[in-house]
Amino acid sequence: MFSQISPPTAPGSSTVDKSTKAGRGFRRLVAVLLALSVVLTAAYAAISIKIASQLVQTTKVPLYATPASLGLQYKDITFSSREDNIQLSGWFIPGVLPNGSLTTQRTIIVVHGNNANRADQSVGLLKLSGAIAHNGFAVLAFDVRGNGVSSPAPRSFGYFEQRDVLGAVDFLRTGSLPYPDLGRPRAIAGWGLSMGGSALILAAAHEPAISAFVSDSTASDYTPILEREIPNGAHLPQLFTPGALMAAYAIYGINFYAVRPVDVVSQLAPRPIFFIHGGADTFVPPSNMSELATAARAAPNAHVQTWIVPGANHAQSYNTQPQEYVSRIIAFYTSAMGPDTSASQ
Amino acid sequence: MSTHAMNETDGEAQEHATMPKGSGWRGVLVSIIPLGLLAGIVVITLLVTALVRQLVAGSGFFVQQQSALVVLIVGLVLAIVVFALASWRVLRHVKIWQRDGTTTQANAALWALTATTLIIVLPVLLALILPQHPAP
Repeated sequence: MFSQISPPTAPGSSTVDKSTKAGRGFRRLVAVLLALSVVLTAAYAAISIKIASQLVQTTKVPLYATPASLGLQYKDITFSSREDNIQLSGWFIPGVLPNGSLTTQRTIIVVHGNNANRADQSVGLLKLSGAIAHNGFAVLAFDVRGNGVSSPAPRSFGYFEQRDVLGAVDFLRTGSLPYPDLGRPRAIAGWGLSMGGSALILAAAHEPAISAFVSDSTASDYTPILEREIPNGAHLPQLFTPGALMAAYAIYGINFYAVRPVDVVSQLAPRPIFFIHGGADTFVPPSNMSELATAARAAPNAHVQTWIVPGANHAQSYNTQPQEYVSRIIAFYTSAMGPDTSASQ
Repeated sequence: MSTHAMNETDGEAQEHATMPKGSGWRGVLVSIIPLGLLAGIVVITLLVTALVRQLVAGSGFFVQQQSALVVLIVGLVLAIVVFALASWRVLRHVKIWQRDGTTTQANAALWALTATTLIIVLPVLLALILPQHPAP
Protein backbone atom coordinates (compact mmCIF):
# COMPACT_ATOMS: atom_id res chain seq x y z
CA MET A 1 0.00 0.00 0.00
CA PHE A 2 2.80 2.48 0.97
CA SER A 3 4.76 1.62 -2.11
CA GLN A 4 1.84 2.92 -4.12
CA ILE A 5 2.14 6.42 -2.69
CA SER A 6 5.97 6.54 -2.64
CA PRO A 7 7.51 9.04 -5.06
CA PRO A 8 8.91 7.57 -8.21
CA THR A 9 12.53 6.62 -7.90
CA ALA A 10 14.76 9.06 -9.79
CA PRO A 11 18.06 7.99 -11.35
CA GLY A 12 20.90 8.34 -8.80
CA SER A 13 18.46 8.61 -5.85
CA SER A 14 20.41 6.08 -3.78
CA THR A 15 23.38 8.50 -3.72
CA VAL A 16 21.08 11.33 -2.60
CA ASP A 17 19.59 9.09 0.09
CA LYS A 18 23.06 8.22 1.39
CA SER A 19 24.02 11.90 1.42
CA THR A 20 20.78 12.82 3.21
CA LYS A 21 21.26 10.08 5.78
CA ALA A 22 24.87 11.13 6.36
CA GLY A 23 23.80 14.76 6.77
CA ARG A 24 21.06 13.78 9.22
CA GLY A 25 23.48 11.62 11.16
CA PHE A 26 26.04 14.43 11.40
CA ARG A 27 23.33 16.83 12.51
CA ARG A 28 22.13 14.46 15.22
CA LEU A 29 25.68 13.81 16.36
CA VAL A 30 26.30 17.54 16.71
CA ALA A 31 23.03 17.96 18.62
CA VAL A 32 24.08 15.21 21.04
CA LEU A 33 27.56 16.73 21.43
CA LEU A 34 26.06 20.15 22.16
CA ALA A 35 23.71 18.72 24.76
CA LEU A 36 26.51 16.71 26.39
CA SER A 37 28.90 19.66 26.50
CA VAL A 38 26.28 21.90 28.12
CA VAL A 39 25.29 19.25 30.66
CA LEU A 40 28.94 18.51 31.50
CA THR A 41 29.93 22.15 31.92
CA ALA A 42 26.75 23.04 33.82
CA ALA A 43 27.32 20.13 36.21
CA TYR A 44 30.94 21.25 36.68
CA ALA A 45 29.80 24.81 37.40
CA ALA A 46 27.11 23.64 39.83
CA ILE A 47 29.51 21.41 41.78
CA SER A 48 32.13 24.18 41.80
CA ILE A 49 29.61 26.66 43.21
CA LYS A 50 28.63 24.17 45.92
CA ILE A 51 32.28 23.57 46.90
CA ALA A 52 32.98 27.31 46.94
CA SER A 53 30.03 27.87 49.28
CA GLN A 54 31.36 25.22 51.65
CA LEU A 55 34.90 26.55 51.40
CA VAL A 56 34.01 29.99 52.72
CA GLN A 57 31.78 28.78 55.57
CA THR A 58 33.25 29.18 59.01
CA THR A 59 32.36 27.23 62.14
CA LYS A 60 31.51 29.46 65.09
CA VAL A 61 33.43 28.27 68.13
CA PRO A 62 32.15 29.66 71.45
CA LEU A 63 34.56 31.40 73.83
CA TYR A 64 35.47 29.00 76.63
CA ALA A 65 36.94 31.55 79.03
CA THR A 66 37.98 35.18 79.43
CA PRO A 67 41.24 36.83 80.53
CA ALA A 68 39.67 37.18 83.98
CA SER A 69 40.23 33.44 84.41
CA LEU A 70 43.97 34.23 84.30
CA GLY A 71 43.61 37.04 86.84
CA LEU A 72 43.92 39.73 84.17
CA GLN A 73 41.94 42.90 83.71
CA TYR A 74 40.37 43.34 80.29
CA LYS A 75 37.61 45.16 78.47
CA ASP A 76 35.30 43.95 75.72
CA ILE A 77 35.76 46.02 72.61
CA THR A 78 34.10 46.30 69.22
CA PHE A 79 35.50 47.92 66.13
CA SER A 80 35.03 47.85 62.37
CA SER A 81 37.27 46.36 59.76
CA ARG A 82 38.90 48.82 57.39
CA GLU A 83 37.17 49.37 54.01
CA ASP A 84 34.17 47.04 54.42
CA ASN A 85 33.18 47.93 58.02
CA ILE A 86 32.53 44.40 59.29
CA GLN A 87 31.73 44.50 63.05
CA LEU A 88 34.45 42.76 65.03
CA SER A 89 34.56 41.87 68.71
CA GLY A 90 37.54 41.38 70.93
CA TRP A 91 39.30 41.95 74.21
CA PHE A 92 41.71 44.64 75.15
CA ILE A 93 44.02 43.34 77.87
CA PRO A 94 46.43 45.92 79.34
CA GLY A 95 49.97 44.78 80.03
CA VAL A 96 51.00 44.19 83.62
CA LEU A 97 54.34 45.64 84.71
CA PRO A 98 56.48 44.03 87.42
CA ASN A 99 55.22 46.61 89.94
CA GLY A 100 51.64 45.57 89.16
CA SER A 101 50.69 48.73 87.27
CA LEU A 102 48.93 48.51 83.93
CA THR A 103 50.28 49.71 80.61
CA THR A 104 49.24 49.99 76.97
CA GLN A 105 52.49 51.48 75.64
CA ARG A 106 53.37 48.39 73.64
CA THR A 107 50.36 46.62 72.23
CA ILE A 108 50.30 43.31 70.40
CA ILE A 109 47.45 42.54 68.00
CA VAL A 110 46.74 38.80 68.31
CA VAL A 111 45.18 37.19 65.21
CA HIS A 112 43.87 33.64 65.57
CA GLY A 113 43.76 30.91 62.95
CA ASN A 114 41.09 29.23 60.86
CA ASN A 115 37.77 28.16 62.48
CA ALA A 116 38.76 29.45 65.89
CA ASN A 117 38.38 32.50 68.09
CA ARG A 118 40.41 34.90 70.23
CA ALA A 119 40.61 32.33 73.05
CA ASP A 120 41.30 29.26 70.82
CA GLN A 121 41.70 26.53 73.43
CA SER A 122 43.24 24.00 71.04
CA VAL A 123 46.35 26.13 70.54
CA GLY A 124 46.41 27.71 74.01
CA LEU A 125 45.75 31.18 72.64
CA LEU A 126 44.19 32.69 75.75
CA LYS A 127 47.08 31.41 77.87
CA LEU A 128 49.57 32.86 75.40
CA SER A 129 47.78 36.24 75.39
CA GLY A 130 47.83 36.13 79.19
CA ALA A 131 51.55 35.36 79.21
CA ILE A 132 52.22 38.30 76.86
CA ALA A 133 50.17 40.62 79.09
CA HIS A 134 51.94 39.38 82.23
CA ASN A 135 55.21 40.37 80.53
CA GLY A 136 54.16 44.02 80.23
CA PHE A 137 52.64 44.07 76.73
CA ALA A 138 49.00 45.01 76.16
CA VAL A 139 47.05 42.59 73.97
CA LEU A 140 44.28 43.28 71.50
CA ALA A 141 42.82 39.85 70.79
CA PHE A 142 39.79 39.76 68.52
CA ASP A 143 37.57 37.37 66.62
CA VAL A 144 38.33 37.50 62.92
CA ARG A 145 35.27 38.04 60.68
CA GLY A 146 32.98 35.04 60.54
CA ASN A 147 34.44 33.64 63.77
CA GLY A 148 33.57 33.85 67.46
CA VAL A 149 31.29 36.78 68.25
CA SER A 150 32.24 38.86 65.19
CA SER A 151 29.83 39.38 62.29
CA PRO A 152 29.33 36.58 59.77
CA ALA A 153 31.52 36.82 56.69
CA PRO A 154 33.11 34.45 54.20
CA ARG A 155 36.40 32.82 55.13
CA SER A 156 39.12 33.92 52.75
CA PHE A 157 42.38 32.80 54.45
CA GLY A 158 43.65 36.36 54.72
CA TYR A 159 42.29 37.93 51.53
CA PHE A 160 39.60 39.84 53.44
CA GLU A 161 40.80 39.12 56.99
CA GLN A 162 43.72 41.51 56.46
CA ARG A 163 41.11 44.29 56.65
CA ASP A 164 40.26 43.12 60.17
CA VAL A 165 43.89 43.53 61.23
CA LEU A 166 43.89 47.00 59.67
CA GLY A 167 40.66 47.75 61.55
CA ALA A 168 42.41 46.75 64.79
CA VAL A 169 45.25 49.17 63.99
CA ASP A 170 42.71 51.94 63.30
CA PHE A 171 41.00 51.16 66.61
CA LEU A 172 44.27 51.45 68.52
CA ARG A 173 45.21 54.69 66.81
CA THR A 174 41.88 56.50 66.65
CA GLY A 175 39.17 54.42 68.35
CA SER A 176 37.66 55.09 71.78
CA LEU A 177 40.24 54.09 74.36
CA PRO A 178 39.26 51.14 76.57
CA TYR A 179 41.57 52.52 79.27
CA PRO A 180 41.63 56.32 78.71
CA ASP A 181 44.00 56.96 81.61
CA LEU A 182 46.62 54.64 80.05
CA GLY A 183 46.65 56.51 76.74
CA ARG A 184 47.25 55.19 73.27
CA PRO A 185 49.94 52.63 72.42
CA ARG A 186 53.36 54.00 71.60
CA ALA A 187 54.15 50.96 69.46
CA ILE A 188 51.94 48.34 67.80
CA ALA A 189 53.09 44.86 66.83
CA GLY A 190 51.33 41.74 65.63
CA TRP A 191 51.19 38.03 66.35
CA GLY A 192 49.39 35.79 63.85
CA LEU A 193 48.75 32.07 63.75
CA SER A 194 48.33 30.20 60.45
CA MET A 195 45.53 32.07 58.62
CA GLY A 196 45.99 34.89 61.15
CA GLY A 197 49.67 35.09 60.20
CA SER A 198 48.71 35.34 56.58
CA ALA A 199 46.21 38.15 57.33
CA LEU A 200 48.84 39.89 59.46
CA ILE A 201 51.55 39.82 56.78
CA LEU A 202 49.14 40.93 54.02
CA ALA A 203 47.88 43.77 56.24
CA ALA A 204 51.34 44.88 57.31
CA ALA A 205 52.34 45.33 53.68
CA HIS A 206 49.85 48.25 53.61
CA GLU A 207 50.26 49.47 57.17
CA PRO A 208 53.57 50.82 58.45
CA ALA A 209 52.10 51.32 61.95
CA ILE A 210 52.64 47.63 62.69
CA SER A 211 56.23 47.67 63.78
CA ALA A 212 57.06 43.98 64.36
CA PHE A 213 55.56 40.59 63.59
CA VAL A 214 55.50 37.08 64.90
CA SER A 215 54.13 34.74 62.28
CA ASP A 216 53.45 31.19 63.50
CA SER A 217 52.63 28.29 61.15
CA THR A 218 51.83 30.58 58.23
CA ALA A 219 51.59 29.30 54.67
CA SER A 220 53.70 31.10 52.11
CA ASP A 221 51.04 30.53 49.45
CA TYR A 222 47.52 29.22 50.06
CA THR A 223 46.94 27.77 46.58
CA PRO A 224 48.87 24.49 47.18
CA ILE A 225 47.09 24.06 50.53
CA LEU A 226 43.69 24.55 48.87
CA GLU A 227 44.65 22.30 45.96
CA ARG A 228 45.27 19.57 48.53
CA GLU A 229 42.41 20.32 50.94
CA ILE A 230 39.52 21.01 48.53
CA PRO A 231 39.59 17.53 46.93
CA ASN A 232 40.06 15.95 50.37
CA GLY A 233 37.19 17.90 51.94
CA ALA A 234 34.77 17.52 49.05
CA HIS A 235 35.78 13.90 48.25
CA LEU A 236 36.08 14.89 44.62
CA PRO A 237 38.95 14.86 42.12
CA GLN A 238 41.38 17.78 41.81
CA LEU A 239 39.57 18.76 38.64
CA PHE A 240 37.05 20.76 40.68
CA THR A 241 39.58 22.92 42.56
CA PRO A 242 40.06 25.60 39.87
CA GLY A 243 36.29 25.74 39.34
CA ALA A 244 35.64 26.14 43.05
CA LEU A 245 38.24 28.91 43.35
CA MET A 246 36.78 30.71 40.33
CA ALA A 247 33.26 30.33 41.76
CA ALA A 248 34.46 31.81 45.06
CA TYR A 249 35.75 34.80 43.10
CA ALA A 250 32.46 35.17 41.21
CA ILE A 251 30.18 34.81 44.24
CA TYR A 252 32.23 36.30 47.07
CA GLY A 253 34.89 38.34 45.32
CA ILE A 254 37.63 36.25 46.97
CA ASN A 255 40.74 35.73 44.90
CA PHE A 256 42.34 32.81 46.71
CA TYR A 257 45.19 32.80 44.20
CA ALA A 258 46.21 36.21 45.59
CA VAL A 259 46.64 34.92 49.16
CA ARG A 260 50.40 34.71 48.84
CA PRO A 261 52.19 36.22 51.85
CA VAL A 262 55.45 35.21 50.17
CA ASP A 263 54.87 37.93 47.56
CA VAL A 264 54.59 40.80 50.06
CA VAL A 265 56.71 39.71 53.01
CA SER A 266 59.77 41.55 51.69
CA GLN A 267 57.80 44.82 51.93
CA LEU A 268 57.80 44.47 55.72
CA ALA A 269 61.50 45.30 56.00
CA PRO A 270 63.16 46.89 57.88
CA ARG A 271 60.53 45.97 60.48
CA PRO A 272 61.59 42.82 62.32
CA ILE A 273 59.86 39.51 61.64
CA PHE A 274 59.97 36.31 63.66
CA PHE A 275 58.82 33.16 61.87
CA ILE A 276 57.91 30.16 64.03
CA HIS A 277 56.87 26.79 62.66
CA GLY A 278 56.21 23.32 64.01
CA GLY A 279 58.82 20.83 62.88
CA ALA A 280 56.16 18.11 62.57
CA ASP A 281 53.57 20.30 60.84
CA THR A 282 51.97 18.21 58.10
CA PHE A 283 49.15 20.67 57.31
CA VAL A 284 51.39 23.60 56.41
CA PRO A 285 54.81 21.96 55.96
CA PRO A 286 57.84 23.78 57.46
CA SER A 287 59.12 24.47 53.93
CA ASN A 288 56.55 27.29 53.92
CA MET A 289 58.48 29.05 56.68
CA SER A 290 61.72 28.65 54.74
CA GLU A 291 60.11 30.23 51.68
CA LEU A 292 58.75 33.13 53.71
CA ALA A 293 62.06 33.70 55.48
CA THR A 294 64.00 33.58 52.21
CA ALA A 295 61.60 36.06 50.59
CA ALA A 296 61.74 38.35 53.64
CA ARG A 297 65.55 38.27 53.71
CA ALA A 298 65.66 39.33 50.06
CA ALA A 299 64.83 42.87 51.15
CA PRO A 300 67.66 45.22 52.12
CA ASN A 301 67.81 45.88 55.88
CA ALA A 302 65.72 42.80 56.59
CA HIS A 303 65.53 41.61 60.21
CA VAL A 304 64.35 38.05 60.13
CA GLN A 305 64.40 35.40 62.86
CA THR A 306 63.24 31.84 62.51
CA TRP A 307 62.52 29.01 64.92
CA ILE A 308 61.47 25.48 64.05
CA VAL A 309 59.88 23.89 67.10
CA PRO A 310 60.87 20.19 67.07
CA GLY A 311 57.96 17.77 67.19
CA ALA A 312 55.27 20.44 67.03
CA ASN A 313 52.28 19.82 64.79
CA HIS A 314 50.37 22.55 62.99
CA ALA A 315 49.85 25.57 65.25
CA GLN A 316 51.03 23.61 68.28
CA SER A 317 54.39 25.30 68.84
CA TYR A 318 53.20 27.15 71.94
CA ASN A 319 51.57 24.05 73.42
CA THR A 320 54.72 22.02 72.69
CA GLN A 321 57.22 24.39 74.32
CA PRO A 322 55.19 27.07 76.18
CA GLN A 323 57.95 28.56 78.31
CA GLU A 324 60.53 28.70 75.55
CA TYR A 325 57.88 30.11 73.20
CA VAL A 326 56.95 32.96 75.52
CA SER A 327 60.56 33.65 76.37
CA ARG A 328 61.53 33.94 72.70
CA ILE A 329 58.65 36.12 71.55
CA ILE A 330 58.94 38.46 74.57
CA ALA A 331 62.63 38.90 73.82
CA PHE A 332 61.76 39.58 70.17
CA TYR A 333 59.05 42.14 70.97
CA THR A 334 61.22 43.87 73.58
CA SER A 335 64.04 44.17 71.10
CA ALA A 336 61.74 45.43 68.36
CA MET A 337 59.53 47.79 70.40
CA GLY A 338 61.92 48.90 73.11
CA PRO A 339 61.29 48.88 76.85
CA ASP A 340 58.13 50.12 78.52
CA THR A 341 58.75 53.62 79.85
CA SER A 342 55.43 54.25 81.54
CA ALA A 343 56.86 53.63 85.03
CA SER A 344 59.43 56.40 84.54
CA GLN A 345 56.86 58.95 83.29
CA MET B 1 -3.30 25.94 11.09
CA SER B 2 -1.72 23.59 8.60
CA THR B 3 -2.00 26.34 5.97
CA HIS B 4 -0.15 28.70 8.31
CA ALA B 5 2.53 26.10 8.89
CA MET B 6 2.81 25.53 5.20
CA ASN B 7 3.17 29.29 4.55
CA GLU B 8 5.87 29.49 7.19
CA THR B 9 7.74 26.62 5.59
CA ASP B 10 7.37 28.21 2.19
CA GLY B 11 8.69 31.49 3.60
CA GLU B 12 11.75 29.79 5.09
CA ALA B 13 12.31 27.93 1.87
CA GLN B 14 12.17 31.19 -0.07
CA GLU B 15 14.52 32.82 2.38
CA HIS B 16 17.01 30.01 1.97
CA ALA B 17 16.54 29.97 -1.77
CA THR B 18 17.92 33.52 -1.91
CA MET B 19 21.09 32.54 -0.04
CA PRO B 20 24.21 31.95 -2.06
CA LYS B 21 24.56 28.22 -2.52
CA GLY B 22 27.41 26.66 -0.62
CA SER B 23 28.49 29.75 1.36
CA GLY B 24 30.54 28.13 4.11
CA TRP B 25 31.20 31.38 5.93
CA ARG B 26 27.51 32.10 6.27
CA GLY B 27 27.05 28.67 7.84
CA VAL B 28 29.84 29.39 10.30
CA LEU B 29 28.51 32.84 11.15
CA VAL B 30 24.99 31.55 11.80
CA SER B 31 26.25 28.70 13.98
CA ILE B 32 28.39 30.84 16.26
CA ILE B 33 25.37 32.87 17.30
CA PRO B 34 24.50 30.43 20.16
CA LEU B 35 28.05 30.60 21.49
CA GLY B 36 28.02 34.40 21.27
CA LEU B 37 24.74 34.54 23.17
CA LEU B 38 26.03 32.09 25.78
CA ALA B 39 29.27 34.03 26.29
CA GLY B 40 27.41 37.34 26.41
CA ILE B 41 24.92 36.17 29.02
CA VAL B 42 27.63 34.55 31.15
CA VAL B 43 29.73 37.74 31.11
CA ILE B 44 26.69 39.89 31.94
CA THR B 45 25.75 37.45 34.72
CA LEU B 46 29.21 37.68 36.27
CA LEU B 47 29.15 41.48 36.08
CA VAL B 48 25.65 41.68 37.59
CA THR B 49 26.71 39.23 40.34
CA ALA B 50 29.66 41.48 41.23
CA LEU B 51 27.39 44.54 41.15
CA VAL B 52 24.74 42.92 43.36
CA ARG B 53 27.45 41.79 45.79
CA GLN B 54 28.61 45.39 46.12
CA LEU B 55 25.09 46.80 46.39
CA VAL B 56 24.01 44.50 49.22
CA ALA B 57 27.39 44.47 50.98
CA GLY B 58 25.94 46.50 53.86
CA SER B 59 23.13 44.01 54.46
CA GLY B 60 25.39 41.32 55.88
CA PHE B 61 27.08 38.19 54.66
CA PHE B 62 24.02 35.94 54.36
CA VAL B 63 22.02 38.44 52.27
CA GLN B 64 25.09 39.06 50.14
CA GLN B 65 25.67 35.34 49.65
CA GLN B 66 22.04 34.57 48.81
CA SER B 67 21.75 37.50 46.40
CA ALA B 68 24.95 36.64 44.56
CA LEU B 69 24.00 32.95 44.36
CA VAL B 70 20.49 33.70 43.06
CA VAL B 71 21.80 36.08 40.39
CA LEU B 72 24.53 33.65 39.35
CA ILE B 73 22.26 30.60 39.17
CA VAL B 74 19.43 32.46 37.36
CA GLY B 75 21.95 33.89 34.91
CA LEU B 76 23.55 30.52 34.22
CA VAL B 77 20.17 28.81 33.77
CA LEU B 78 19.09 31.62 31.43
CA ALA B 79 22.34 31.22 29.49
CA ILE B 80 21.72 27.48 29.09
CA VAL B 81 18.09 27.97 27.97
CA VAL B 82 19.02 30.68 25.46
CA PHE B 83 21.91 28.59 24.18
CA ALA B 84 19.67 25.52 23.77
CA LEU B 85 17.02 27.50 21.87
CA ALA B 86 19.58 29.22 19.65
CA SER B 87 21.31 25.89 18.91
CA TRP B 88 17.99 24.25 18.08
CA ARG B 89 17.23 27.09 15.66
CA VAL B 90 20.62 26.75 13.97
CA LEU B 91 20.12 23.00 13.63
CA ARG B 92 16.75 23.69 11.98
CA HIS B 93 18.49 25.99 9.51
CA VAL B 94 21.04 23.28 8.87
CA LYS B 95 18.26 20.77 8.21
CA ILE B 96 16.74 23.11 5.61
CA TRP B 97 20.13 23.75 4.03
CA GLN B 98 20.73 20.03 3.79
CA ARG B 99 17.30 19.55 2.24
CA ASP B 100 18.00 22.36 -0.25
CA GLY B 101 21.34 20.87 -1.16
CA THR B 102 23.48 23.71 0.22
CA THR B 103 25.69 21.12 1.81
CA THR B 104 28.81 23.28 2.07
CA GLN B 105 26.92 25.78 4.20
CA ALA B 106 25.28 23.03 6.25
CA ASN B 107 28.55 21.21 6.84
CA ALA B 108 30.37 24.42 7.75
CA ALA B 109 27.66 25.18 10.29
CA LEU B 110 27.86 21.69 11.75
CA TRP B 111 31.65 21.84 12.05
CA ALA B 112 31.37 25.25 13.70
CA LEU B 113 28.85 23.81 16.15
CA THR B 114 31.25 20.94 16.84
CA ALA B 115 33.92 23.53 17.61
CA THR B 116 31.37 25.25 19.87
CA THR B 117 31.01 22.07 21.94
CA LEU B 118 34.77 22.04 22.44
CA ILE B 119 34.77 25.69 23.50
CA ILE B 120 31.96 25.01 25.98
CA VAL B 121 33.81 22.13 27.63
CA LEU B 122 37.10 24.06 27.48
CA PRO B 123 36.90 25.21 31.15
CA VAL B 124 36.50 21.60 32.25
CA LEU B 125 39.28 20.44 29.93
CA LEU B 126 41.59 23.20 31.18
CA ALA B 127 40.83 22.26 34.80
CA LEU B 128 41.72 18.69 33.87
CA ILE B 129 44.87 19.55 31.93
CA LEU B 130 46.42 22.52 33.75
CA PRO B 131 48.92 21.39 36.35
CA GLN B 132 48.20 21.76 40.05
CA HIS B 133 50.79 21.68 42.79
CA PRO B 134 49.01 20.50 45.93
CA ALA B 135 50.96 20.76 49.17
CA PRO B 136 52.38 17.43 50.38
